[in-house]
Amino acid sequence: MKTFFYNIGYFMKEAWRTIRMNFLSNFFSIIGTGLILFLLGLVTVGTIIGNQFITKLSQEAEISAYFVEDMGVDAAKELVSEIQNIQGVWNAKLIDEMQACAMMEDMLGEEAKILELFEDNPFKAFIEIRIDLDAMETVLSQVASLEGIDYVRDNRAVLKQLQSIIRGVEVVGYLITLAVGITTLILLSHMIRQGIYNNREQINTLRLLGAPGSFIGFPYVLVGVLLTLLGGGLAIALLILLIDGGYPKISGTIPFLPLPSQTLLIQQSATLIVTVSVILGVLGSLFGLSSIGKDNR
Amino acid sequence: MIEAKGVSLRYPDGTVALKDINLHIKPGEMVYITGPSGSGKTSLLKLLLGIEFPTFGSLKVMDKSMVRSRKGRINKLRRRIGPVFQEFKLIEGRTALENVMIGMRFLGKSPRKIKEEAINALKRVGLEEKIYSKVENLSWGQQQRVAIARAVARKPALILADEPTGNLDYDNAINILKLLNSFKDSNTTVIITTHATHLIEGQKDVTYIHVNNGSITVEREELAV
Ligand SMILES: Nc1ncnc2c1ncn2[C@@H]1O[C@H](COP(=O)(O)OP(=O)(O)OP(=O)(O)O)[C@@H](O)[C@H]1O
Ligand SMILES: [Mg+2]
Repeated sequence: MKTFFYNIGYFMKEAWRTIRMNFLSNFFSIIGTGLILFLLGLVTVGTIIGNQFITKLSQEAEISAYFVEDMGVDAAKELVSEIQNIQGVWNAKLIDEMQACAMMEDMLGEEAKILELFEDNPFKAFIEIRIDLDAMETVLSQVASLEGIDYVRDNRAVLKQLQSIIRGVEVVGYLITLAVGITTLILLSHMIRQGIYNNREQINTLRLLGAPGSFIGFPYVLVGVLLTLLGGGLAIALLILLIDGGYPKISGTIPFLPLPSQTLLIQQSATLIVTVSVILGVLGSLFGLSSIGKDNR
Repeated sequence: MIEAKGVSLRYPDGTVALKDINLHIKPGEMVYITGPSGSGKTSLLKLLLGIEFPTFGSLKVMDKSMVRSRKGRINKLRRRIGPVFQEFKLIEGRTALENVMIGMRFLGKSPRKIKEEAINALKRVGLEEKIYSKVENLSWGQQQRVAIARAVARKPALILADEPTGNLDYDNAINILKLLNSFKDSNTTVIITTHATHLIEGQKDVTYIHVNNGSITVEREELAV
């Protein structure tokens, strides 16, 4: 262990020398790894946004219960408290015509002018019920069977569809991650093998001098980690550029899409990329290293 | 230090390089191996360094039996040996100093100490002016001296030098032999192969091993009382 620390400087120099020895191929392999990891970054960002969206939607799982036309305010309030007591209901609230209109204005933002085209308020009062997503079925049927309820609207279909889309994205994500891993490993172990081949005389001499395998091999592990880390850095840079440029546009076009904070998004995907880089770097170089012959000559 | 009993070495192509070698070398012994080209001198050193293994017979170096299956142990053993190869095996693209230092890096010494001792060794072989020269820019004789410096700087228990004076002029050769001889005092066993019999004749307290066509005869010159 002491010897290891004594030699850190030497290992770094050796790693850098090995990279420089075959600079162009190593440079391109960094670019390649970078692009591959960028792909991984994209998947990650997509998954983070998608998951956040789903959670938000599930948290906000709410149904709207419309009651019969001629119900008075008191009766409606009674109905609300009745609904409140149903298992699986978090909160029920009476929204009158004015509030319903205001909500729509809120959602439409700039386009709220459309509402001025209506002479009367086109919205009806309703009961907004926030519920536990898992209890959706039972709550729905119970609310619908209450006296005075005309009909119930839910966002179940939308939610289900979204969920299946995101699950699909996730599967694609796993596949891409797998492809990223395998491709990087192949690329990297090839680079390491090449480095070892270029240094074969030296490795042979070190063997004859009794150098331990770890001493001979460690610089190559460093090379591997360095290559993937540089690739990872490139991927992160690209990702930041993309998020910086794309974020305002996305949030502009899809107003109701709840986007996670930019820094958080970058932080999370960068952490993942760096972790994956290091792991792939170590694994790739170990694969490459296994090609050092066990010969003693 | 070295114990050989009925050792033979046959290369895969059928060449029998060594036949029925019996040898006992004590710690601190100074040994010269002589013999015509192709007689088996290098082959003998290869056995001692675990590059080749006896086809028959048993060989022990520093109490470790030299068997092919004991790679890890042989690796450790090599750390206590200072080899000088006939073809030097220096690492190109590196300075003389780096070449000497690299052989010491896995012996548990601090980088400062390594550098200090490596420079010392290079001074002792008369290369103080070439410490920072790339080895491929050095003459054969200079490269040979770097190889020697690399071996002795490790302060090994056993020095195996294959033709260490092969490319040197008389003065340098004598100087190198003196340097290698001086390790006797620290109880280091020194084994040197050489063609230059005129340089080593008449020494006392040394062992001569004559190799001829794979067979050896051992001759010990006792210290005159
Ligand atoms: N790897 C090998 N495979 C087959 N034969 C070999 C091998 N190495 C050496 N030999 C043969 O073994 C015999 C002894 O060779 P060795 O190198 O030990 O001689 P040497 O005494 O060191 O010669 P020199 O003085 O020229 O260095 C020679 O006939 C040589 O051709
Ligand atoms: Mg020879």
